[in-house]
Amino acid sequence: MLDYVDLEADLDEEERMIRDTARRFVEEKVKPDIGDHYEAGTFPEELITEMGELGFYAPNLDGYGLPGVGERAYGLLMQELEAGDAGIRSMASVQGALVMYPIHAFGSDEQKERWLPELGTGDAVGCFGLTEPQHGSNPGGMETRAEADGDEYVLNGSKTWITNSPIADVAVVWARETSAEESPIRGFLVETDRDGVTTNKIDDKLSMRASITGEIGLNDVRIPEENVLPGVSGLKGPLSCLTQARFGIAWGAVGSARDCFETAREYATDREQFGGPIARFQIQQEKLAEMATQITTSQLLAYRLADLKERGDLRPEQVSMAKRNNVRMARDQARIAREMLGGNGITTDYSPMRHLSNLETVYTYEGTHDIHTLVLGKDLTGIAAFE
Amino acid sequence: MMKILVTVKEVAEVEDDFEIDGLGIDEAYLEYDLNEWDDYAVEEAVQIAEAGDDVEVVSVTIGPERSEETIRMALAKGADRAIRVWDDAFESVDLLDVAAKTRLLAAVVEKEDPDLVLTGVQAADDGFGATGVSVADEVGFEWAAVVNELDLDADGGVANVRRELEGGVEELTEVDLPAVLTIQTGINEPRYASLRGIRQAQRKEIAPMSLDDLGFDASALDSPIALTGMSEPESESDATLFEGDAEETAAQLAEVLREKGVGAQ
Ligand SMILES: Cc1cc2nc3c(=O)[nH]c(=O)nc-3n(C[C@H](O)[C@H](O)[C@H](O)COP(=O)(O)OP(=O)(O)OC[C@H]3O[C@@H](n4cnc5c(N)ncnc54)[C@H](O)[C@@H]3O)c2cc1C
Repeated sequence: MLDYVDLEADLDEEERMIRDTARRFVEEKVKPDIGDHYEAGTFPEELITEMGELGFYAPNLDGYGLPGVGERAYGLLMQELEAGDAGIRSMASVQGALVMYPIHAFGSDEQKERWLPELGTGDAVGCFGLTEPQHGSNPGGMETRAEADGDEYVLNGSKTWITNSPIADVAVVWARETSAEESPIRGFLVETDRDGVTTNKIDDKLSMRASITGEIGLNDVRIPEENVLPGVSGLKGPLSCLTQARFGIAWGAVGSARDCFETAREYATDREQFGGPIARFQIQQEKLAEMATQITTSQLLAYRLADLKERGDLRPEQVSMAKRNNVRMARDQARIAREMLGGNGITTDYSPMRHLSNLETVYTYEGTHDIHTLVLGKDLTGIAAFE
Repeated sequence: MMKILVTVKEVAEVEDDFEIDGLGIDEAYLEYDLNEWDDYAVEEAVQIAEAGDDVEVVSVTIGPERSEETIRMALAKGADRAIRVWDDAFESVDLLDVAAKTRLLAAVVEKEDPDLVLTGVQAADDGFGATGVSVADEVGFEWAAVVNELDLDADGGVANVRRELEGGVEELTEVDLPAVLTIQTGINEPRYASLRGIRQAQRKEIAPMSLDDLGFDASALDSPIALTGMSEPESESDATLFEGDAEETAAQLAEVLREKGVGAQ
């Protein structure tokens, strides 16, 4: 795959092996029938435990049987998975960065013992409930509440657009603890088989079709107080998870763009019109040149992010810049790749239009493009435009 | 305690479009990977180790430093340690023939003293398909080639194997240990290396071994075989397209088959 400035030549052996394993997995297990899953609107559920056995969930965390690989290796994994489909990468992002990460970072020892090994192998599936019907870009306005009652909490509210909620065993639900002073946002581990929990599936998606999305309804759901994440309070809880996941998304977007590029390049050199391959026309070459340049500059940003994250210097605003840039890049370039494939480009036989439509979700979730613009604006001027 | 030695090779894979450069294929068109047959052999050994209680899996390769990554993949999939045979003397050898490989691997077998040696049936690049059996002959082990099912009775010292012969015929046979088995693709489903396995593999030993360590000098690599030319075979397309409905095309096909002698007594 395109690596124009030889960034992969500087990977160490472990990183190369992880890249190769993930690439082979995607080649053999994802690509052959992802188009059919996309069309049917289903997730290849048999891959959930397979990806777990391979250590694809939260591999950058340590302990509890997790491999503890470096941040660049983690980024490479996300990149390869999204070259298959953003739905596959979303599965790994949600399970690893949005569910296992907060348990690992903010959970009690009992919570870690109870959940991390099973989530790591994929024997349990988790989901992350932040977004609500009336509160998307502004999660701080959330209405879901948890009220202490003896040694239990009673949860009420509804979450929507929750990746994997219909197949999840446990949900990390972010809610206002209304029985505490100033009603801080807290994280609650809610087993989905508790009375009062519903997880309806959202069926009419035209994007991210090979990924399961649903709601979480909470109707007087009682959970023991041991299910509260003890180590965090306030919006920084969910936001710190999102920083982890967005780091993976910045890499993943490069993966989908690279797959689009390779598909377009191969098509352009094979497809003949006017007596020769369409790749001989300057207009097509300009498209490839631009695509390759955009991918390469985004790739550089992703690599830099990994270095900063590895040494503990990464700021959330830097992740915002990379998520914003790389996803926009991938979305724009997927459209160009689609274009170059002519009529064939609109079918499930080729990946670009599938990536393109997935990227509409990626552009919107984990902070919309606009919201990341405002985050950068605030960082650059010191003035928040969204408060 | 049982020991299984698995021979593995890093093979060159050629892209669909390539150019020949002298006696080889231009490096730009080559990618290196673990030989497909060896992947099955590693998997078979690791499955035996996982099913038994005291089984050590050692993998051995003859190859330059670059091949460490390939052998490390075998370690990531579950082999316990590895040996890499190499020496400056190999740099000037164009073709390492079966006899030379046999000498080297037989010396490793003698050092390691395994109960079972698993090799791939053949290598995807030079494809001699002889190394495993030749090593067995050299060290005086029993052997079975092209094994596509293996049921090991370690206590009884017997490997019950199914071998694939020409023309779809299969043979069931027993081989006394110690033995060399050459493993056919399809015997199992090779796993992917897990990220945990890849991490652990970084800490496993790959012991270097020189010709001297094995008791040889550079003459051990001499060969009566020389590579004299490299060319792409002329490909002649010889396809016949039958036209008509099912009955007509079936009749035409039957005629061709009869002409070729199919069904003749
Ligand atoms: C497939 C899919 C999976 C998802 N998975 C999850 C999940 O697992 N967990 C979870 O919690 N959420 C999930 N989400 C939800 C996602 O994070 C939200 O959709 C996103 O945060 C945007 O919220 P919204 O849809 O309510 O849009 P809104 O916030 O209503 O935004 C609508 C438009 O207004 C713009 N806008 C909003 N505020 C401003 C402003 N201040 N200035 C300028 N423009 C503004 C936005 O950029 C956008 O263009 C998922 C979404 C999708 C589509």
